[in-house]
Amino acid sequence: MQLQWFGYYYDGQSANRRSARIYLEAGNLRIDLDGGAILNWPYAEIRQTQGAYAGEQVRLEHGSEPAQVLLIDDDRFLASFHELLPNRAAAFHNPAKRLQRIQLTIIAGCASIALLLGTYFWGIPTLATIAAPWVPVSWEEKLGESMLDQVAPAEQRCSDPTRLAKIQELVNAMLATQGESKYRFKIHVVNQPVFNALAAPGGHIVIFRGLLERTENAEELAGVLSHEVQHILKRHVTRSLLEYASTSFLVAAVIGDVSGMVSFGVEAAQMLAQMRFSRQHELEADEAGLKMLLAAQIDPAGMIAFFEAVRKEQGRMPSALSFISTHPQTEVRIARLKSLIAASRASSQKLLPDYSWNDIKKICPALENTTKQ
Amino acid sequence: MATEGDIQAQQLDAPVSSTYPIYFHGRGGSLFGIQIVNLFLGLITIGIYSFWGRVKVRSYLASQTEFAGDRFAYHGTGKELLIGWLKALVLFGIPLFILAVLQVVVGIESGLFDLLQILIYIVVGFFIPIAMVNARRYRLSRMSWRGIRFSFRGGVGEFIAIYIKGWLLTMVSLGFYYPYWQTRRQMFMISDSYFGTQKFAFDGRGRDLIGSFILHVALSLPTFFLCWIWYWARVQRYYAEHTSFQAARFRSTVSGGGVFALWFGNGILFVLTLGLGWSWIVVRNMRYYASHLTMVGALDVAGIKQEAQTATAIGEGLSGFLDLDFDLG
Repeated sequence: MQLQWFGYYYDGQSANRRSARIYLEAGNLRIDLDGGAILNWPYAEIRQTQGAYAGEQVRLEHGSEPAQVLLIDDDRFLASFHELLPNRAAAFHNPAKRLQRIQLTIIAGCASIALLLGTYFWGIPTLATIAAPWVPVSWEEKLGESMLDQVAPAEQRCSDPTRLAKIQELVNAMLATQGESKYRFKIHVVNQPVFNALAAPGGHIVIFRGLLERTENAEELAGVLSHEVQHILKRHVTRSLLEYASTSFLVAAVIGDVSGMVSFGVEAAQMLAQMRFSRQHELEADEAGLKMLLAAQIDPAGMIAFFEAVRKEQGRMPSALSFISTHPQTEVRIARLKSLIAASRASSQKLLPDYSWNDIKKICPALENTTKQ
Repeated sequence: MATEGDIQAQQLDAPVSSTYPIYFHGRGGSLFGIQIVNLFLGLITIGIYSFWGRVKVRSYLASQTEFAGDRFAYHGTGKELLIGWLKALVLFGIPLFILAVLQVVVGIESGLFDLLQILIYIVVGFFIPIAMVNARRYRLSRMSWRGIRFSFRGGVGEFIAIYIKGWLLTMVSLGFYYPYWQTRRQMFMISDSYFGTQKFAFDGRGRDLIGSFILHVALSLPTFFLCWIWYWARVQRYYAEHTSFQAARFRSTVSGGGVFALWFGNGILFVLTLGLGWSWIVVRNMRYYASHLTMVGALDVAGIKQEAQTATAIGEGLSGFLDLDFDLG
């Protein structure tokens, strides 16, 4: 049991290094400096600031800043200290416990991974769903209006009131099954050959002429509309914004202050996350939309037929790439819808029975001869 | 237990000309352990622990760096960084946020939008030199060697003038003033740095670098801009050579090829480990720079006295918002 140690002393007033002999006494460290001076440092007043790693010299500090410094090159010092005076040594690093520290670090690592995965897969979507209803409807409407100006500029809208009213009838039939809604639904048709429809927060539904022309009957359009209506009722755009903000926070927490090289990976990670959340939203809109059709006694075969047409149009996307898509694979969506229909037993009534569906396709003026009305 | 480092330290107390290498003893595994604990505690405290975590990393890196037989020590605290961050938020983050929101409110078509944009540039332009000076002052004041603190005593006003004047001249000269600007900034940063009572000195001149700069501008396109790695190494060597302390000078042996290999290797390591290898990259860098930096000459530090200066961590907070990265060298 070695009680005497060799070290170096700095008095905190100059850079002059002095040799010292150090003794482990009952209540204090005794330091005999070369030159004769003797110092006593009570253990309770000593701070250890270096020496927690193998081979590292032990650095002890005493006094207010700028502190006096004692350096001991031999880390058997700590082991002896703990053996000799275990109570006094409690505040100092114990080399015997290094293995335990490594084990704790591994546990912390696993716990971090679990926390991150949990937050990503469950925490963020749940938080967004809970927070979304607190966003005022007027904010959603403003957001929707600015989106609308982007995708459906006024001069490209087809404003034939009679035909728009027919489409509105379909929406009203569906909404009748949903109870009171604070959203005012408005249909907009855009004169472009795009095969798409989308929903903007606050109640705006945009249908492109290209999609309208591909529908065979009212039930097919109803299938599309039900999906878009549910995007609005479930507040998917608002939730996306909240999810994106939360993901940013999560990524920032992980990355901390590590900058530069990492920021590119960070952007990519966020985008992948956002695409996954968006796929969840699409599946939710499909399912809720189908349920709404069934409740309104609209034949869901139209929705399926429409998706089949989409699938033929799209061609195949390799399933390996599905993680970078904002929409789930169409086959997957069709399969889910079919199984939902098989599980239900609703009857249906024909939509707009006295109306010839081909008439609706005239809602937009033909672009070449706008003068000939 | 006398080590090679001890023997070097003995020699320091007598002013004999010598070469003093720098060693970095840190290991990637140890740093990784620190980072994992930082991540865990950061997650469960929703980020508040990150300030303390940053201190842990800096303390580790400082205490694993050895010069002439003694290791450095870092004395900053998480609380200081947190307060610095809060101050920066109030002074800078919030005003900038308000300006950005105003931009959205007035809309991109409005004439006010451009005016606000100019205001934002001005605010950021002023805060960058403020952040640089403040952060340097804070970090140096929290570093010590042999118990004696470093300090930085340059004035913020002086640096703002240097920074903005130099930036304008660089713009006007289509970039050719850059070596002069960079060297002027380095002069400011070094010549007001102190170890205890003793000042550092810098005698570099922009005109010594302009030739190399022009050469590298010419080589930019043919080398797909890779030649700038070699220019960076050249500048490091020049600045080290022209930085002195008492009768000793620094000497850097970094080379363009060495730095290129280092950074390229870091990139591969990063990609292969999906980012988890970050700690090993930091250690690689520290080892490289430490092993290529020495001090040559007669050092007599026994007589240097403590002259610690106060400093706040606002610059640290500002640098976080501005996404700046600082080195002490």
